[in-house]
Amino acid sequence: MIERGRSPLDVLDTYRQEAGLSHGELWLRYFELGGMSTGFDVEAFLYGMLAPSDHDHDVIAQALNERFKELGGDHPVPYATV
Amino acid sequence: MPHRVFAMSVTKGSPDFGAVTNFEDGEATIALRGTMTQGAAFVLEAILDAAIDRQPASMVLDVAELDFLGVAELLTISNAEKRLAISGVTLTLRSPSALVNRLLGIMELAEVSRRERALPEHGHLGPEQLGDRGALSERFASSLSAEDLRRVTALPADPDVIDGALRLIVELARISIGGADGVSVSLLRHGVLSTVAASDQTIMAMDADQYSTGQGPCVDASITGHWFHAESLDTETRWPAFTPQARGLGIKAILSSPLRVFDKPVGALNIYSRKAESFEVKDQESAAVFARQASVILSDSRADVSDTQMAFRFQEALRSRKVISLAEGVIMEREGIDEEDAFSALLRLALSEGVPLRERAEAMVLSAKQPELGPEWELDD
Repeated sequence: MIERGRSPLDVLDTYRQEAGLSHGELWLRYFELGGMSTGFDVEAFLYGMLAPSDHDHDVIAQALNERFKELGGDHPVPYATV
Repeated sequence: MPHRVFAMSVTKGSPDFGAVTNFEDGEATIALRGTMTQGAAFVLEAILDAAIDRQPASMVLDVAELDFLGVAELLTISNAEKRLAISGVTLTLRSPSALVNRLLGIMELAEVSRRERALPEHGHLGPEQLGDRGALSERFASSLSAEDLRRVTALPADPDVIDGALRLIVELARISIGGADGVSVSLLRHGVLSTVAASDQTIMAMDADQYSTGQGPCVDASITGHWFHAESLDTETRWPAFTPQARGLGIKAILSSPLRVFDKPVGALNIYSRKAESFEVKDQESAAVFARQASVILSDSRADVSDTQMAFRFQEALRSRKVISLAEGVIMEREGIDEEDAFSALLRLALSEGVPLRERAEAMVLSAKQPELGPEWELDD
């Protein structure tokens, strides 16, 4: 489970920046993994302006984590259901 | 209790904008929304003047709802900021969108490039000098670090807004690059090269001549992704079908810098001069910076560059979605769970095996297929 106390929703965009992905690029990766939300909604999730469903959160987290893995890193983004 | 003194909404064709001024405890807050271009500067100037005349202790421009602003509007804001600074009043910019931030950043680049040219000190900057020199306040400039610019990556994918941003780049490049008599941006859209922004009709014709002859620095830069500099068209030999036409229109030098999206050439920023050998090294560097900004805007916007690479990526994305959806179907049937739980289950499998989700999904779909496909699909050991 993600730690609600640390407000991980706020930091999702920080992960995106660390991963060196533009919003457009991240959305495409999210879409690739089966994500259904628009680019606009995904941006709102990243900034914590909209709360994603656990499923949406996990698709975004996986898109980011796969990117971190490509860069030779770990899976730093926590999941909601895994 | 806020006191509203001025509220208006102006519609000029389809893009429209509005402004609402509020006064509270000596602070003037002006909220701008919509698209401010093509004459909006005069209205904006009147709004700012009216607010400044009331001698506020501080002033805030809320641009959270502002979608776009042109070079004249940027200069108007800059002028107001200067007037306020004289009486010790600060002007703060509140919540600029990614696009507005980007525009201010481009403006800053133009300003920096002009400052580097060491122009003589100027007196009062009036609206009559609008086209002549860009002056963005130090405060705006310093509020946008290079790091900010790198982080600002989101742009609406509206082609009109993209074209507007490119027009702004054309205008700023023209006023800030030495020797530039005209500037244009050419873009490959649907496999056809066309001009999306140009500073005047001669430049438009210049680009068109290059497209029709299939020759010229603009065409070559757009296709090869390298920059081309025709220092003097009088001695130029590379584009025999095109150069006489350019000379006929009084053009003597051309500098074309490539625009790239996802590392693929998609167009060019073209700078034309009526004088031979007018682009110095510094000008060439400035041109490269503007070209890079235009490239970033295009990449970020996923604009209609209609590049084969974008088409390919979308195809790949759709294929990936399909295979993940099929794998979810297999799990749903096997476990009797819903789609989202099936995604979680698939995700757990991928994570435990340390493979990407798509790869795990492909393996699952393949293993589910094998019994039906018969023995010829079994591998020999």
